[in-house]
Amino acid sequence: MARKSTETARPRSVLRFTLAQRIAHLLLVLSFTVLGITGLAQKFPLNGFSVFFIRLAGGIDNARAIHHFAATVLMLVAIYHLLDVGYKIFVLHARMTMLPSFQDVKDAWTAFRYNLGLAESRPQMGRYTFEEKAEYWALVWGTVIMAITGFMMWNPLATTRLVPGEFIPAAKAAHGGEAVLAVLAIIVWHMYGVHLRHFNRSMWTGRLTEEEMLHEHPLELADVKSGLARRPVPATTLRQRQMTYYPVAAVLAAAMLFAVYSFISGEQTAITTIPPQAARVTVFAPQTPTSLPTIPPTLTPQPPAAAPEGTQSSGSSPTWETDIAPIFAAKCLACHGALASGGLNLSTFAAAMQGGKDGPVIVPNDAAGSMLFVVQSAGGHLGQLSPQELALVEQWINAGAPER
Amino acid sequence: MTKRLSGRHRLALFFAAVGILLVAAGFASRAAASGEPVPALQGKPTDDYCLSCHSQAGMTKTFRNGETLGLTIDKALFQESVHEQNGIACVDCHTGITEYPHPELGALNTRQVSMEFYPSCRTCHAEQYEATLDSVHQKELAGGNARAAVCTDCHNPHTQTRMTDPDTGDLLITARLHIPQTCARCHSAIYDTYKESVHGKALTELGNLDVPTCIDCHGVHNIQDPTSAEFRNNTPLLCAQCHANDTLMRAYGLSTDILDTYVSDFHGTTVTLFEQTSPDQPTNKPVCTDCHGVHEIRRVDDPQAGIAIKQNLLQKCQRCHPDVTAESFTDAWMSHYVASPQHNPLVYYVNLFYRIFIPSVIGGMLIFVLSDFIRRTLEARKGSRK
Repeated sequence: MARKSTETARPRSVLRFTLAQRIAHLLLVLSFTVLGITGLAQKFPLNGFSVFFIRLAGGIDNARAIHHFAATVLMLVAIYHLLDVGYKIFVLHARMTMLPSFQDVKDAWTAFRYNLGLAESRPQMGRYTFEEKAEYWALVWGTVIMAITGFMMWNPLATTRLVPGEFIPAAKAAHGGEAVLAVLAIIVWHMYGVHLRHFNRSMWTGRLTEEEMLHEHPLELADVKSGLARRPVPATTLRQRQMTYYPVAAVLAAAMLFAVYSFISGEQTAITTIPPQAARVTVFAPQTPTSLPTIPPTLTPQPPAAAPEGTQSSGSSPTWETDIAPIFAAKCLACHGALASGGLNLSTFAAAMQGGKDGPVIVPNDAAGSMLFVVQSAGGHLGQLSPQELALVEQWINAGAPER
Repeated sequence: MTKRLSGRHRLALFFAAVGILLVAAGFASRAAASGEPVPALQGKPTDDYCLSCHSQAGMTKTFRNGETLGLTIDKALFQESVHEQNGIACVDCHTGITEYPHPELGALNTRQVSMEFYPSCRTCHAEQYEATLDSVHQKELAGGNARAAVCTDCHNPHTQTRMTDPDTGDLLITARLHIPQTCARCHSAIYDTYKESVHGKALTELGNLDVPTCIDCHGVHNIQDPTSAEFRNNTPLLCAQCHANDTLMRAYGLSTDILDTYVSDFHGTTVTLFEQTSPDQPTNKPVCTDCHGVHEIRRVDDPQAGIAIKQNLLQKCQRCHPDVTAESFTDAWMSHYVASPQHNPLVYYVNLFYRIFIPSVIGGMLIFVLSDFIRRTLEARKGSRK
């Protein structure tokens, strides 16, 4: 069937898209692709592909700048499109063929039933099929959502002056969700409908052959043939309408361009560099005296290990010097010595009786009220005393905690 | 104090005088003069031989710059040291000394003595020594800063007890508890800050071994420059080593989602991708420490500095976003919460919407596309058969 067209030198064709429309579409394709790649790479930063694309873009900051540039291009295309549509509606009084209608729902249903073998034939559709309308309006919806949420992320300071801060992460969630939806829709719907099913070149050449039209847009072909599709406007009427439309469009265009300009340059959100942490601390602050591997010369010689004179037998009540100090030295001083963990130093009698940062830990005559005994009785302390040692400490405290 | 100092000088002078006399009189006459039997010198000198002098209190050497070096070794501590316990003799490190009188020290001050001796650690501790060669201390040293730490500044070779379990190689509890104090010898300002932090307080006051000491973040021997961009960019992964560890965090009721929630936030996404592509370049996006602090990390509900309190958090935001005045700006950061009906409900419901909406739309499209594709394939086959 397709062969037939080659017999005639040039198949008769219909102009479907003007050059301006095709250029706008090209810009849309480019900006959408760039936005999708640089955006999804940020949505899935742990993915290997993301890292690849970010590297390709020259790092995350560049990728973000590229994303912003593409977003600006897309917004400009959208503004052009709005003005163009306005011209067609208000000046040319063209038919609003892109408006969805109940007929589209019926067409979709018929098409689906036909695919299942439940309907006799495919629906006969006009300039825009239900598939094209669905895609167009999805794009409009998506662009609006992306622009609003994008604005919020691009201008968080201004946004949080107007709405709660939570709108920013919510905008980010919507931006990412919408992006995934848009990219998947393009891959599934657009790729199939325009490239796989039948490679539709009209967005590049601007034309569809009459045969293609007959397959895809039979009703429009009929309108074209009958002259209904493009009703010429008398020159004077056209001039009149243009005189009204152009000033309005100019004002609107200026307003929208200004909005885009504010959008992209309104806010310097953050400082460019973070001061290094080191600037805020004194790195080298040596303790004095500086410790050396040998004993400092001023140190007085160690006293003899134990004073043997008048050694008290442990038969009498325990004292700090003979009984308690050695236990503490063995079990406690690793932390509660020079380190004074918790402010508690048990290396001398005076320091031990002084207690820690929360007060005394040894209350003479009251072991049960002494924090040292309470903590040790609970068990599991890092330097845990044995039951015998603990009993001796208890006995010592209850005897008034004598030094000697 | 001044009295003691002058006393020390007198003592030093006295010993200097005695020393000169002794050198003049020679070794044998010194032994005779002290009246003590000196252990016989067979082969290399034994520790007892060395300590027969060096355990005596008050031995010093005074350098020409006025610095005094103590020469006394605490015998009790020395005997407890891991070196003595493992039979490492004095002269294994002090290799230049074979007899008395000793050769004159080449060092001109106390620091030079350390510098002269610390390379001998390499003989036994080659692995650790090699690691230090890659450290910020070594770089400082190479840059001419003689105050930078060498082996002996952290490990007093005469008193250092065993630090690791000989079987498992794990750090012993006491060794771990004392790490911050070791670093504090030079970094006391940082230690004072650390001590007050949620980590430092738990370690120094409660003996909690779950919290990080200095080395858990900075490493041990190959300590890297913590002010480098590389170190900063790696901070999220560093903190996550503990904070994404479920068993460790469960005991404290802390969330382990902190890394995931950070990475999925704008800041974390940026730093994550940045770290992948240019790990050695600085980024202006915050890492953990920019909000939580470094050594001064507090509980987030700390009434003074806790960043769960909006005003405190706002100050952190303002460090990078100086134009922020609205407190609501702080809610743009989800505070490490995973969006739920309780926390950040708006985000939760937006996500929920897309979780339903995307499969519905794309699923519907797929069903239609498939039906269309199958129908057209069947038609084409029928057509070609004709």
